[in-house]
Amino acid sequence: MTARAPVTGEVAAEVFTRRARAERWRLRARRLRSVLRQFARQRSGVIGVLIIGLFTICALFPEQLVGPFETVTRASGEKFEPPSLTHILGTDELGRDVLNLVVHGSRISMSIGLMATIITVAIGAVIGIVAGFVGGRPDTFLMRITDFFLILPTFVLALVLAPILRELLGESSEFFGIRVTLLVIIVVIGITSWASTARIIRSQTLSIRERAYIDRARVIGASARHIMRRHILPNVLSLIVANTVLVFAGAVLIETTLSFVGLGDQLAPSWGQILAFAQASGAPGIGAWWYTASPGIAIVLVVLSFTLVGNALDSILNPKLAGRR
Amino acid sequence: MGSRFLARRLGQAILTILFVLVVNFILFRSLPGSPERILLRGTRISAQALEIQRERWGLNDPLLPIDVQIDDEGIRLVGFPASLIDNQLVAYIGSLAQLDLGLSFQFRGRDVADVIAEKLPPTLLLFGLGEIIAIFVGLGLGALAGWRRGRPSDYIGTSLSLVLYSMPYFWLGMILLIIFAATLHWFPTTGMITPGADFDNPIDQVMDVARHLVLPVTTVALGLIGAYSLLMRSAVTEVLSEDYVQTARAKGLKGDRVLRAHVLPNAMLPAITLVAINLGYIVAGAITVEQVYSWPGLGTLTVDALRTRDYPMMSGIFLVLSISVVLANFAADMLYGVLDPRVRT
Amino acid sequence: MSAEAAALARMVTRAGRTLPKLADPGAPLLDVSDLRVRFSLAKGGLTAVDGVSFRLDDGEALGIAGESGCGKTTTALSLLQLLPSNGRIESGRVELYGIDLAKKSEAAMTRYRWREISIVFQGAMNALNPVRRVRDQIAEPIIVRLGVSEESAGRRALELLDLVGIPMQRGGAYPHELSGGMRQRAMIAMALACNPAIVIGDEPTTALDVMVQAQILALLESLRWELGLSLILITHDLSVIAETCDKVMIMYAGRVAEEGPVSRVFTAPRHPYTQALLRAFPNIRADRRTLDVIPGNLPDLRDPPPGCRFAPRCPFAMDVCRVVTPPEVTMSDGVRVACHLYPNHDAAIVEPAPIAQVGADAPVDDVVPPADNSNLRDVDDDTPPDEIQP
Repeated sequence: MTARAPVTGEVAAEVFTRRARAERWRLRARRLRSVLRQFARQRSGVIGVLIIGLFTICALFPEQLVGPFETVTRASGEKFEPPSLTHILGTDELGRDVLNLVVHGSRISMSIGLMATIITVAIGAVIGIVAGFVGGRPDTFLMRITDFFLILPTFVLALVLAPILRELLGESSEFFGIRVTLLVIIVVIGITSWASTARIIRSQTLSIRERAYIDRARVIGASARHIMRRHILPNVLSLIVANTVLVFAGAVLIETTLSFVGLGDQLAPSWGQILAFAQASGAPGIGAWWYTASPGIAIVLVVLSFTLVGNALDSILNPKLAGRR
Repeated sequence: MGSRFLARRLGQAILTILFVLVVNFILFRSLPGSPERILLRGTRISAQALEIQRERWGLNDPLLPIDVQIDDEGIRLVGFPASLIDNQLVAYIGSLAQLDLGLSFQFRGRDVADVIAEKLPPTLLLFGLGEIIAIFVGLGLGALAGWRRGRPSDYIGTSLSLVLYSMPYFWLGMILLIIFAATLHWFPTTGMITPGADFDNPIDQVMDVARHLVLPVTTVALGLIGAYSLLMRSAVTEVLSEDYVQTARAKGLKGDRVLRAHVLPNAMLPAITLVAINLGYIVAGAITVEQVYSWPGLGTLTVDALRTRDYPMMSGIFLVLSISVVLANFAADMLYGVLDPRVRT
Repeated sequence: MSAEAAALARMVTRAGRTLPKLADPGAPLLDVSDLRVRFSLAKGGLTAVDGVSFRLDDGEALGIAGESGCGKTTTALSLLQLLPSNGRIESGRVELYGIDLAKKSEAAMTRYRWREISIVFQGAMNALNPVRRVRDQIAEPIIVRLGVSEESAGRRALELLDLVGIPMQRGGAYPHELSGGMRQRAMIAMALACNPAIVIGDEPTTALDVMVQAQILALLESLRWELGLSLILITHDLSVIAETCDKVMIMYAGRVAEEGPVSRVFTAPRHPYTQALLRAFPNIRADRRTLDVIPGNLPDLRDPPPGCRFAPRCPFAMDVCRVVTPPEVTMSDGVRVACHLYPNHDAAIVEPAPIAQVGADAPVDDVVPPADNSNLRDVDDDTPPDEIQP
C-alpha cells in the first residue's frame, strides 16, 4: 500500500501534467486564432503583410524573377537609360538594369535586416528577462547599461564600430559563408539597437513575476533558469513578436544608412548601397530620378509595412495598449 | 526644482559621458598596430617629436588602471598596479580635457579639435533650424491628430507622418534635390555658398547661404516632423483618456481651452523625453543629409573620415556627437523638471 | 418636508440663483424621462441606459444605487453629455428647468456644464490635473465661465477651499502633494465654484478609507443644508444613501428597478432585487463586498435577456418575467417599481420568502427573509405569484 502510493501519485501527476500541457496548447492555439482574427480586422496591418509578402518573394527568387545579378561585365543596357519597355526602371551609370539591382538588393537588405533583428531581439530579450526576473543589483547594473545605449547616438557608435570591426576581422574574410562587410553591419546593428527591446521586455517581466503561478513554481523548487524559460518567456513571447517586427523596420533603415555612408558591400549591393552608387555617380544632379527613386521606394514600402504590421500586432498583443484605440 | 532630482540627473549625465570616454578609448586602442601608428598615420614626424607625443599620451604606461591576465580561462582581474594614475586611460582622459583629440590623417596632421570646431557651425545652423521647425510643426500636427483622432484629418496626418517616418533622410534629400534643384532649378544643388562668387555686400552673402539652406533644412525638418508628430499624437491620445480631461470637459470648457490648458501641458511631458531620446537617431539623419547636399559640416566630415579611415577624426566626432546628445538629454531632463511638479520633490 | 416648505425652498434657491435663459420658472429642477443611452462597439453595440426616468426637486438629494455596470454612472454622465466618444443619447429627455439638455449640441451644452450641474468624480487623484495648482484648477471655471477677474477668482477659490476644510495656504499645492481626502475636498470645492443648482457625486467616497469617507459625507451633508444644493449621489454603498439622501433609485442592467423615498424603499423594499441588495447589508455599515451574495451576474447587455433582466437571478421569477418587460408602476405610497409582482398601485408587498419551484438559476437557499420586516405593510399574499398576469 505504502509502496504503491507514490507510483499512483506519479502516474496521476503524469496524467495531470499531460492533460495540463494539452490544455495549455489548446489555449495557445485558441489565442493565436483570436489574434489572427483581430489582426485580419486591421486593414493597414493586412496591407503591410501583403507588401512584405511581395518583397519576400523577390528576396527568395530574384533569379527567377529578373535573371542573374547584373555586374559591370553583364550590364544589359547603355548608361543612364530612362525607363523603357526593356528596362522598366531604367539603367544605372554602368548600364545595369535598375529593376535587376533592386530585386537582387531585396535579398541583401532583407536578410541583413532579418539577422540583425534576431541579434537585437535576442540580446534585448535576455537582458530584459534576466534584469526583470532577478531584480536587485544585477537589474540596476543592466538597466544602467541599457540607459547608456538608449541615450547614446547608437548610430554614431555603429559608424565607428563598423570600420574597427572590419579591420580586426580582416577586410576580405568570410564567416559562416557571410562576407565580412555584411557580417559587420549585422553585428553592429545588433549590438547597438537592443536597448528599447530590453526596456519593454523588462517591464512586462516585472508584472509577470508578481503573478501567483511564479510563486507556485518557486515553492515547488524550480530553478530561476527554469522559471525564466518555462514561465516568463512564453508570457513575454507575444510582446517579443510585436517588438521584433518593429525592430526589423528600424534595422532596415539603419542598414540603409550605414551602406549609404560607405560601409556597405559593393559586390553585394543592398538598397542602401544602390543609393550610395546613385549618389556617387551624380544621378540626382543630372535628374536620373529612376535610379534614385526605385530603391528608395522599396525601402519606404518595406519599412512602412513592417511598422504598420508591428503597430497592429502591438495594439493586439501589448497589454498596455490593449483596449485602447 | 528639487536638488535631489537635479543631482541624480547630473550624476547620470556625467556617468554616461565617462562611459562614452571609456568605450571610445577601448574601441580605438583595440585597432591592430601600435596606437601612435593609428593616431599619427600619414603625418611626417621626427623620432623626437614622436617620443614627445608618446609621453603626452602616456603610451609608455600600461593600458588600463587594472592588471588583467588573459589566458585560456578568459580574462581575469589580477589586481591593481602601483599607480592608478600612470596609465593610458587616465592620460587619454587628461589629454581630452585639454581638447587634444589627436591629429587628423586626412587633413595632413591638423589638430582634430580644430577641424571639428571649424565644421561645427554649419551643422548647428542646419540642424538648429530644422529642429526648431520640426518641433513646432511636428508637435503641433501630432497634437492636432491626437485631438481629432479617428477623423479624416487624423487619418491623413498620421498616414503622411508614417510615410515620412519610414523614409531614410538622405533619400528624401535626394528626391527633393532632383525635383527642386536638378529639374526646376529653384535652388542650388550642393554646398553652402556659391563657389567663386564675389559678394558686394553681406546681405547678398546671407541670401546666398539662405538659398543653399532651403532644401537641406526642409529635408531635416520633414524627416523629424514624421517622428515628432507620431510621438505627440500618441502622447495626446494617452492623456485624453485621463480623468482630468473629463473633469475639464465637465467644467464646460471649450475644446481649445481643454486642449491648451489641460491636454498639452501633460502631453508635453512624455513628448520632451521622446524628443530627447530621438536625438541620437537624428544625428544619423544629420550625417547623411549633409552628404547628399555636400554641406560643409560634421556629417560630410564624418563620411570623409570613414572613407579615408581617419581614426583620430572618427574618434573625435564620436566624442563630440555623443557628449552633445548626452548634454541635450540632460537639458531635456531639466526642462521636464520645470514642467512637471511631481519630479520636483 | 411639507408642500409649503418645499415651495419655500424652491423660491429661495431659485431667487438665489439666476436661472439660465429659456428656463421655465415653474418647471421642476431636473426631470429625466425615458432616457436611452447606446454605446457602439467594434461589433454591434449595447444599450447601457434603457428607458430611465426620474425627477429631482430643489434641495433634494437622490441616491442612485446598483451593481457596477448597471448604468448609474452612464446615466449621470449623459445628463451633461460627457459620454465617451462611442456613446450617445439615443432618445429621451433631460429637462433642467424645462430645458431639454439631451437635444443640445456640444457647443450649447458647455453653457450648462458646471454652472447648472457639476460633478465630483471618483478618485480625485486622477480627476485633478497633476501639473496645475489646486487653487488654479478651482479658479479656472470661475474665470472662464463666470468672466470673473483672475484675482478675485483666486480669492474665491481660497474661500471655497476654506469652506470644504482645506487651509487656505494649501491652495498653492499640486494634487500629488495632498492626501486622498484632501484631494476629494478640493474636488468638491471645485464643483461648488460656479454655484451650481445640482452637484452629482459619482462614487465620491469609494477610493477613500472609512474615516475619510465619513468626513467627506458629513461635508457633503453640511454643504447641502448650507448652500441649498440638490444632490445626485451615485454609489454602490447603500449605507451612504441611507445616511445622506431623501430619495433612492435602484438600477439594474440599465433600467430602474425601484425608486422612491429612502424611508419607504429601505424599510419596505418591493423589488426582489432591492430586497436582495438590502439583505446583502445585514448591517448598514457592513463591508460592501458582501454584495456578492446575490447569486449570478449582471446579464450581458450586448444581448440582454427578453422580459425582466433580473429574471435569471430572481427567486420569484415567473414565466411572464422571461417574456414581458415589466412596466413601471407607481404604488400608492409613491414608490415606483418595475416588477410583475406588482401589477397595480395597491398590490401587496411580496415577502421575500423562499418559494417552491421557482425556475430561477439561483439556488433557493440563498434567499432568506430580511431580519427586519416587522414594519412591512399588510402582507395579504393570497395570489400565488405564478398566477399574476401583467
